[in-house]
Amino acid sequence: MSDDLTIILTAGLLGTACGLLGPFLVLRRQVLLSDAVAHAVLPGIVLVYILFGSRASLPVILGAGLFAVICVIGIEQIRATGLVKADAATGLVFPTLFALGVIGVTTFASGVHLDLDSTIYGDIAFTPFRTWELFGTEMARSLPLLAAVTVGNMAMLVLLWKELKASTFDPVFSKVNGISPELVSRILLIAVAVTAVTAFESVGAILVVTMLIVPAATAHLLTVRLLPLVAVSVIVGWISAVGGYGSAVALDASIAGAMGLVATICFSLAFLLSPRYGIITRAVRHQRKISPVLSPGLQPVSRAGDASGSEDVSG
Amino acid sequence: MDRLIELIPLSYTDSVVLIGAVILGVAAGVLGAFAVLRQRSLVGDALSHAALPGVCVAFIATGAKDAVTLAVGAAVVGVIAAGLILVIERTGRIRPDAAIGVVLTGFFSLGIVMLTFLGNFNNSSQAGLDTYLFGQAAGLLVSDLTVMGLLCAASLGLVAVAFRPLKVALFDLSFAGSVGLPVRLLELAMTAMLVIAIVIGVRTVGAILMVAMLIVPTVTARQLTSRLSTLLVVAGIAGAVVGSAGSLISTGAGIPTGPVIVLVGFVVAMSAILLAPGRGVVWKAHRVTSERRRALNEGVLIDLETALQSGPPPTVGQLASLSGRPPAGLRRALRNLDRAGVLRRDGDRIALSATGTAAVQTLLDRRELWSAWLENGWRIELPDAGEPDPRDLRASLGDDLTDELLAFSRGGPGE
Repeated sequence: MSDDLTIILTAGLLGTACGLLGPFLVLRRQVLLSDAVAHAVLPGIVLVYILFGSRASLPVILGAGLFAVICVIGIEQIRATGLVKADAATGLVFPTLFALGVIGVTTFASGVHLDLDSTIYGDIAFTPFRTWELFGTEMARSLPLLAAVTVGNMAMLVLLWKELKASTFDPVFSKVNGISPELVSRILLIAVAVTAVTAFESVGAILVVTMLIVPAATAHLLTVRLLPLVAVSVIVGWISAVGGYGSAVALDASIAGAMGLVATICFSLAFLLSPRYGIITRAVRHQRKISPVLSPGLQPVSRAGDASGSEDVSG
Repeated sequence: MDRLIELIPLSYTDSVVLIGAVILGVAAGVLGAFAVLRQRSLVGDALSHAALPGVCVAFIATGAKDAVTLAVGAAVVGVIAAGLILVIERTGRIRPDAAIGVVLTGFFSLGIVMLTFLGNFNNSSQAGLDTYLFGQAAGLLVSDLTVMGLLCAASLGLVAVAFRPLKVALFDLSFAGSVGLPVRLLELAMTAMLVIAIVIGVRTVGAILMVAMLIVPTVTARQLTSRLSTLLVVAGIAGAVVGSAGSLISTGAGIPTGPVIVLVGFVVAMSAILLAPGRGVVWKAHRVTSERRRALNEGVLIDLETALQSGPPPTVGQLASLSGRPPAGLRRALRNLDRAGVLRRDGDRIALSATGTAAVQTLLDRRELWSAWLENGWRIELPDAGEPDPRDLRASLGDDLTDELLAFSRGGPGE
């Protein structure tokens, strides 16, 4: 498999895995939790390195997963005191965990290959070189990992579609019908954490956060129903993957950054031109609506219409 | 500035770091309050990530790497990012959190692309731009301190001058608009102040840790006070304390300053959340348990009185079956009542002592007063709109009103 294809496939799988979850984060107003989780896992990675001297996938994913859960629970606990709002609770917890990670890196692991750049900026460019022997063929280990996560997320969506839908749009209704919104929310957050942590290890934090947030926000501007929202979000993820890789090669710049940029361009286009919610389309529609009132030439037409309507009623 | 540094009994670089951390703490504390109280804490996250493309643009435009040029670049791009967040969330479809997320990732991606793109041309000269992300307190210069100090003083002055309109806009934007205040301008001013705080701090603690610096002082101060003016002062002080303590610990232990400051800040904020008088978690838990214990004791006392009225002094078992309370709770209450000296033990039978009889009497009086209030409270004219304290109606109503209330209920149902 060529390197180009590996990178594009990795990013596309990431876009699928994240695109399945992102819409629910957007609808539940928990978007920034993904950013928090992506930063909060740093101490987990460092801890695994200090304890086992390893950067192998599985221990790192476990260590990072532990801290992702600590982060989510910590935010929830602080918010539950009622003394601190959810946004401030998020902003208290994840920088603290990140700070622990930074201290760990600089004190115990300096000089080894665990620099902040590669964990934060992500090195999706290196995915083709980190390989596993699978079924007799050598393949980039990011592919089976992300494929597994994608399948897992897909299974969760299929199995819990009704529950997710009910608890996202109307928590009270879902509770009355015996679906615990808290439980569904916890399952969703665990899925987000697992996705973020797995992907983080192979492509870097910023790309995960981008893929969780931006395609879903873009799709939110283009769709009204839930199923199309998820589908469009996945499609935007793939567009960012392919377009981002192309432009990164053309510009000779960071692949993760370029993919994020393409996703953001998609969002900007949707924001301006979405048929229903775009600000330009809305301005044009508004202009059309008020123009008959403003221009006298069109006024008789609408009046005539009104008059004929009333005649019909009376006749 | 040099004289100030000489006053501090530390090495030159450590003093510079200490002063920088204090300025950062004060600025982030006071200016961050305007974001945290509007529930926009994480705007700071987006804006400090937007500093990365900001410094890149500044570097591309001027080729200079001094603090002022880069700070101006970060500030300009920060204001643009803040404006975009406002525009996106104002259109309604995209909620504030998603707007923050999109702007954050978009600007950060742009920054990374610019950084790597720059790296292709001249590998060495752009080096150091990314210290903006992780912060490097040790790299602070005296000239940086002067810039930071001036910015901090200017923005604190702005807060002092525009305190009243800012306060109105902070708590009730539509009211501010209705009394003719320039709402857009005030919103922009609050965001611009956030940008200034970030520009001051991001060099010292880095983009991600800066988020915590904006939040910690306000969260701490909010637990201690409910007035905005006091809150701003307390937040400023808290920021300065966190900054100085963090930088002293870090220079003492030889670990990076930014993370230590954030850890100290987290500890301070959590202690405030747990221990704040009247509001903290521990305080509230204590109040709830003591209220519960009081309610249980009083309930058991009334049960005992009822049993005594209808027959001979009951045993513990009889009292339990009579009151229908769980036996463990009943025994606990009886132990408490024994300790208070209101019970008289007669073998295994329980009766009331002299103090006990008096205590039951006040309790019954209070209950009668409470039902009188529920039934006839609407007839008496309260001096103010506040509800009286249900635990002690007589004290909060005053003797005259209490007697009036009792007269109503003893006079039978009203006409």
